[in-house]
Amino acid sequence: MDQLGAQIVDFARLVMLALVPYVLAAQGTMLGGRTGLFSVSQEGIMLVGASVGFLGAYLYGSLVYGIILAALAGSLFGLALAYFTTTLKMNQFVIGLALFFFGLGLSTLFPKLVIGVTLQPPLIPTLKNVPIPGLSQIPILGDIFFNQNWMVYFAVVLSIFLYYLLYKTGFGMELRSVGENPKAADSLGVNVSLMRYGTAIVGGMLMGLAGAYLPMVYTGTFTQGMVQGRGWIAICLTFFGGWRPDLILLGSLFFAGVEVFALRAQIARFGVPYQFLLTLPYIATLLVMVFASRRLRPPAFLGQNYDRERRTLA
Amino acid sequence: MNEHAVGSGYDFKSLARGLIPYVLAVVASFAAAGIFIAAMGYNVPQAYATILFTSFRTPNGFVQTWLKFVPLLLQALAFTVPLTAGKFNIGGEGQLIVGAIGAAAVGILLAGLPLPLLLPAVILAGILFGGFWAAIPAWLLYRFGINEILTTVMMNFVSFSLIDYVATEIWGDPAAGHPTTVPIGVGGELPLLVARPPLNSGILLALFAAALVYVYVNRTPGGYELVATGANPRASRVFGINVRKMFLLSLILGGALAGLSGAIEVAGVQHRLIEGLQSNFLLLGIIIGLIARGNLLAVPFVAFFIAVLEVGASALQRTMMIPVEMVSIIEALVLLFVLLSDVVRRR
Repeated sequence: MDQLGAQIVDFARLVMLALVPYVLAAQGTMLGGRTGLFSVSQEGIMLVGASVGFLGAYLYGSLVYGIILAALAGSLFGLALAYFTTTLKMNQFVIGLALFFFGLGLSTLFPKLVIGVTLQPPLIPTLKNVPIPGLSQIPILGDIFFNQNWMVYFAVVLSIFLYYLLYKTGFGMELRSVGENPKAADSLGVNVSLMRYGTAIVGGMLMGLAGAYLPMVYTGTFTQGMVQGRGWIAICLTFFGGWRPDLILLGSLFFAGVEVFALRAQIARFGVPYQFLLTLPYIATLLVMVFASRRLRPPAFLGQNYDRERRTLA
Repeated sequence: MNEHAVGSGYDFKSLARGLIPYVLAVVASFAAAGIFIAAMGYNVPQAYATILFTSFRTPNGFVQTWLKFVPLLLQALAFTVPLTAGKFNIGGEGQLIVGAIGAAAVGILLAGLPLPLLLPAVILAGILFGGFWAAIPAWLLYRFGINEILTTVMMNFVSFSLIDYVATEIWGDPAAGHPTTVPIGVGGELPLLVARPPLNSGILLALFAAALVYVYVNRTPGGYELVATGANPRASRVFGINVRKMFLLSLILGGALAGLSGAIEVAGVQHRLIEGLQSNFLLLGIIIGLIARGNLLAVPFVAFFIAVLEVGASALQRTMMIPVEMVSIIEALVLLFVLLSDVVRRR
């Protein structure tokens, strides 16, 4: 294979690797949004996921514990969001911001309590690649798609599963109806609160996993603010993907591509100051929002709380 | 929450009633944090005393508190003013940074000018640059209807790269060892109110800005339209208010306030542009705005309280080795309890 070809394969491999946190966090956001819950705490939940995921793996010597802890922490945040907004009917944005602060504070507090302040933070092993027998032997494609860590496979399979669940099953239709018109859903016997609790908890869990991926694949350790806006980008991505699992997966490819390109371009030194390359993901996000704003419609009841005793909806 | 924004004409009784949830929230948060501190094996009364009284024990602590108070007040206003119109400005950090860049640029380029010319130019540059940085998401909202929470956050991340570039490539001071620019002209420095420990006059600017904002929102027709927009955008539109223009205006105004805080950091505190000068002011500003429930009269008092906690927090880490995040948790708890008091009152 010539050098350019090898570089392209390498690039595609890295994009698949960088895809995971975007997919998980955005699918989590989408799930909540489909029942009308608009979370803005992704960044905070991902930081907590990264922090406890790292600490769990460090303390118990196995990545599995870290992943379980991160999922648990994420679902607790989801539960809190559902309780404050669905049961107590508090403003979703305000609660989302408050939970974001909590996550931000907790994510740096935990390592200080467990490890203390050190110049050289301990390292955990990173996730190993799991080649899929047979498929990984396919030239080029095998290397890109079937010789990755298991969370890459999980992210793709999850997206397909969510698409099937939401658009091909009766349950999925009920779930979507809660985000479009909870009053109608309620009158048809759909338990609106339960749906919201469920999607918030599962969504939070996915965000926690998205965070845990960062130390387990990229750095091997937790550093302050290591999510670097991926949580916020995931929200934009969800809008961009029209709150549909399939389009979110495609959109994640784009954002992962921009991230990898920005990193690569820094190493290659095009003569452009690296600071401008660093801004690429954020500027791309802004442009994409402009593009998406004309074409795609979020769930009709997004960001609002449902009170069955009220006569009117809005 | 916007009904609280219409916060004028308190009588004493309703003021007292309004204070009760705050007091309860503070007591409850300290109690919760106390359990945590005790569980970690620290001396609880000593920790409380450190958090609450560091600001008042020494002249240095007192001045530190006021120095923290200035950016916190302005950041809180940068969040609260758009909130009055029902919009969330999460971009105060970027607006502060770009305001600081503008202030530093003027201060460095026109370094030779005397104080009466240079200082106003530096401050004005900060306000304009901050307003400009907010104008981008504001315009995206106005023109395309794009959610302002997301765009203002994105602009923060862009500003991190911008300040790094300015502080290393354009006016970088190679001797500093951290991305820092060369100092601004002496004429651009805010005069000191107290020489030792140094307290600059930025606080006067901040308080003046706060008063101006209060008068504008509560005492002028333009401010009334702003409040009406936040309270009920639909009714306001029917009434003939250009709601989208109000969103635009409120966000730019917020950006200008954040930009002013950037200018004060440059002209008053650092006398140069330093990467990281924004500290965690944005988060604290939002917490302050939410604890004050958007009430412009309450914002300065809450900001002072949080400044006291923050100064206490660094002393806590210095003297007792308790992580500063302990105080972040207290602040988040105060916010949560204040919000919960709304729920309790509703029932």
